Amino acid sequence: MKMRLSLAIASLAILVVHGFVFYQQFFHKWENYQQSYFDQAKTLAKNDAEKETFAGRSPKIEQIMVTQFGSERVDRCTTCHIASDDPRFLNSPHPYKTHPYSEALGDKQVDGRWERRHKFSDMGCTVCHDGQGRGLTEFYAHGEDEFWNDPLMGYVTQENWRADFKDKLKGKEFMEANCAQCHTEKNFKATPMVNKGRELFQSKNCYGCHRIEGISNGTLGPDLSDVGKKWKIDYLHESIVDPRANSATSFMPKFNLTNEEVKALTIFLKSRRGFNYAETTLDRYRATLKKPSSNSAMVQPTEGNQPTTLNTDTSANYGGQLFTERACAACHKLGELDGGIAPDLSFEGLMKDEQWLVAHFKNPRSLVPDSNMPSFGFPDTEFKALSAYLLTQNKVPPTGNGQEIYQNLCLRCHGEKGDGHGMIATYLDPYPRDFTNAGFMSSKTDERLTASIKNGVPGTSMPSWAKVLNEQQIKDVLTYINQNFTKETRTDIKQRDVPEQNPVAMSPESVTRGESIYLQRCTGCHGRKADGKGPNSLDILPRPRNLLNAEFVTRTNDRRLFESILYGVQGTAMPPWIDYGLSKDDVGDLVNYIRNLNKNKQNLVAANAYVSSH
Amino acid sequence: MVYGMSKNNQKNNFLNTVTEMPKAIWDSVFRNNLPHTDLGRSKTSFTNFFLHMHPVKVHKHTLKPWFTMGLGLMSLFLFMILSVTGVLLMFYYVPSTTQAYDRMLDLRGSVAFGVFLRNMHRWSAHGMVAAVFLHMCRVFFTGSYKKPREFNWVLGVGLFLLTLFSSFTGYLLPWDQLAFWAITVGTAIAGYAPVVGEQMRFLLLGDTAVGQEALLRFYVLHVAVLPLVMTGMVAIHFWRIRKDGGLSRPDDADIVITPMPAVAANVMPATIEQPQLNFLSKARYGIQGLVRGPFTKVGNVPDNTVFSYPNLLLAELFVFVLTVAGVVLVSAYFNAPLEEPVNVLHPPNPAKAPWYFLGLQEQVSYSAFWGGVGIPAIEVIILMLVPYIDRGKKGVGKWFAKERLLANTLFLIFVVVNILLIIIGTFFRGQNWEFVSPF
Repeated sequence: MKMRLSLAIASLAILVVHGFVFYQQFFHKWENYQQSYFDQAKTLAKNDAEKETFAGRSPKIEQIMVTQFGSERVDRCTTCHIASDDPRFLNSPHPYKTHPYSEALGDKQVDGRWERRHKFSDMGCTVCHDGQGRGLTEFYAHGEDEFWNDPLMGYVTQENWRADFKDKLKGKEFMEANCAQCHTEKNFKATPMVNKGRELFQSKNCYGCHRIEGISNGTLGPDLSDVGKKWKIDYLHESIVDPRANSATSFMPKFNLTNEEVKALTIFLKSRRGFNYAETTLDRYRATLKKPSSNSAMVQPTEGNQPTTLNTDTSANYGGQLFTERACAACHKLGELDGGIAPDLSFEGLMKDEQWLVAHFKNPRSLVPDSNMPSFGFPDTEFKALSAYLLTQNKVPPTGNGQEIYQNLCLRCHGEKGDGHGMIATYLDPYPRDFTNAGFMSSKTDERLTASIKNGVPGTSMPSWAKVLNEQQIKDVLTYINQNFTKETRTDIKQRDVPEQNPVAMSPESVTRGESIYLQRCTGCHGRKADGKGPNSLDILPRPRNLLNAEFVTRTNDRRLFESILYGVQGTAMPPWIDYGLSKDDVGDLVNYIRNLNKNKQNLVAANAYVSSH
Repeated sequence: MVYGMSKNNQKNNFLNTVTEMPKAIWDSVFRNNLPHTDLGRSKTSFTNFFLHMHPVKVHKHTLKPWFTMGLGLMSLFLFMILSVTGVLLMFYYVPSTTQAYDRMLDLRGSVAFGVFLRNMHRWSAHGMVAAVFLHMCRVFFTGSYKKPREFNWVLGVGLFLLTLFSSFTGYLLPWDQLAFWAITVGTAIAGYAPVVGEQMRFLLLGDTAVGQEALLRFYVLHVAVLPLVMTGMVAIHFWRIRKDGGLSRPDDADIVITPMPAVAANVMPATIEQPQLNFLSKARYGIQGLVRGPFTKVGNVPDNTVFSYPNLLLAELFVFVLTVAGVVLVSAYFNAPLEEPVNVLHPPNPAKAPWYFLGLQEQVSYSAFWGGVGIPAIEVIILMLVPYIDRGKKGVGKWFAKERLLANTLFLIFVVVNILLIIIGTFFRGQNWEFVSPF
């Protein structure tokens, strides 16, 4: 009996589900739309003959096959939007509404009738609007499905997009990204947002880090040539306003952009899909024949960063002009201009010399190994001009007491509270020193702290202040820092028993021994590559030292290295290794190993020996 | 007169031919009418192709619903649903990297019943993996793999592996992100095998990465090779059930059902007649000497059997209807996933294998070789050897028999550990395979 009951229930369930499925299969919403369109069209018909044409029609799937734009497209949009080309429905609600006619789109009125520039029968719908052409329900066709990469551009936002900027991703102007698939001309009138985005890409120095085929050659950030094909607009928008949201290790700055600018950049990036829709493979092949030197087959004009005529002017005036043109102040501060991302250049002439500046321009990482400043590919003459301009920034600022000096000069990096969290601190590697770390500050002699201010810290963003501040002012700043941030009375620092010179002679055997000690003891924090990025490094502040920073390592004497390894660095995670069984000879081997790592870079350091010149 | 009569006869003959034709056709197709007698019932089973794989009579113990829970049958019915829906889907599918995904969209968008077919196929496939595994658990916990059913257990383990492989090969076919990366992960696991690993992976993919060749190979395996092999093995599996004396049952099944001590004393034990190797010299053993069990049961054993028609048939119908109802209900409410089109440059994080391989993937995260190849290989070998290792004769045909406490406990641990690994891999692993809480 029980068996029969469950059999009956199961059979009923099968029946019900089949009914449901059959209903779904044979009663489509689009059939209702089409039927309703036929009815309306019949009443609108002017004569019987016209009425007749609708009498015989019954609902069926309408589709446009488009073969000319990239891959083959099947657009079934007109199944619901069946009146999109029927001018009598201009004021009807969706989905009956006629697609608007617009002169901006190139539509023309001939004898009182509109003629479309972009014919639906040739173009389909999704090439401009996106969405899923094959879908026959609103949910799928409009791309509301979170797995569809191209939702209806500017109209549909997907469920899982971030709520805080979802609304900013709506608007007709987003469709310009699709116009630009074929209209790749640099200043195409109908795509103002794409043009604006392209300008911003230059003026905000995006080009310095990112490569876009035919436009820029940056290598520091990801290649954006086909970024529009890979990502949805929400991801692009998010990557601009909050670069670390998608990649925790990103060092891309948060630029100060207005909503409008972010939108323009998003649209511009969405328009980068790697190839021109209007091109056929034959066109592309022809283009490669014409330009054998270029591996790019794009029709888009190469903008590049090099001026077309070589300018040999290296004067400071020209440098100043370049400083503005190349938008250095998108990141740096100079006088009133401030990008809020990179160091203050207002006193650069007092801190650096031309040799350093030019070398740094050519490759910032040769001098500050963890710098995130891009290597711009400008010609040498421009670097010289820029250096000359920066060297004119040599006016000593008005003096004041310790507090004023700190606030004018130190605050940008070390922060208001002296905790190393200044406005640009996140973009500096290593981080600015945290003055509230009393353990560290109190274990360092006055001489050492003074020297760091005076000479700067090699291999980092800390410059030499010797020509900006005099002895007394340096003392004042140190006193201010100590009283307000460290807040600990300085006591005499214990003299450690460490050798002035490494007692172990440099030899291949010593380096090998040092390496084995290093691999056993140091990799957890300093990393296998000795780049300071070991597995524990992210949990430690201050971060472990990058031991491949040749500038720093080479300029640090044996005494300091011995002291740091044997007795640890107070206020940091570096322990006193003498307590863990390392002898002086072991440390000698380690020092040899570390020095040997940076051996090949020593020539570079010697060539840029600026510290001695100050 | 004669002429006239013959004409009349002819006319009658013709009329008879016409009027009797339906019955003649019916009788030629169905050899028996609906049976009302025991003879009729046995004839029905004997003479019908579809029924002849059943025994004429079946033991009452076999029909106890909670003994088998119909899991083996459920697997078979799911396999049949998969074959039917699979063939229908084949009409629309093209195993090409440029077309496969579009075909999926068409199935969802404009093919009549497309969504429903795909849902049924997808959920039946997942259901079959689960049903076959549970069936294996049932056979183990009732000790049904013991002599003389050892080899049928080995066949069953083989069928389980084939089921997994069929499901795995089908996983790639939609050619979306889910499929692509699951197969990339899955085949990478195969690559961890020593010596032959890379070659095996290459053989499977036809390339160094998942691409057009892999899609074609997986397609052919999925729609032709594996179903054929499985059909053959299922046939052998079923045939052996009958030749091994039907489903297992406890030694005392007859006594429990009808305690008839007087008759029970005469019961000939249902053991194996040892085949006489030199039977030529002892001619009294005919060919029947190889058949197991007593020569004639009538009067020798308590008859606790019932006719398969309609008893067994009804039970089967019951399982069938429940299975179909389950699949249909699930398919009506849950759509088979279809993610973004394949993007070779952007693996999802984490990229996960199909759920039944997530236990493996979890193991791989600890050790590529041991987790992905070593341990699974050892597990499969031990599973296949189970009947030859555990040779005790006690506890057959009973769930969790006391005599089999050790074996059952070990197997239970194996099952629970594997299920736990799958649960961890499915719900507790997030980006970079780091531990996350799903709550």
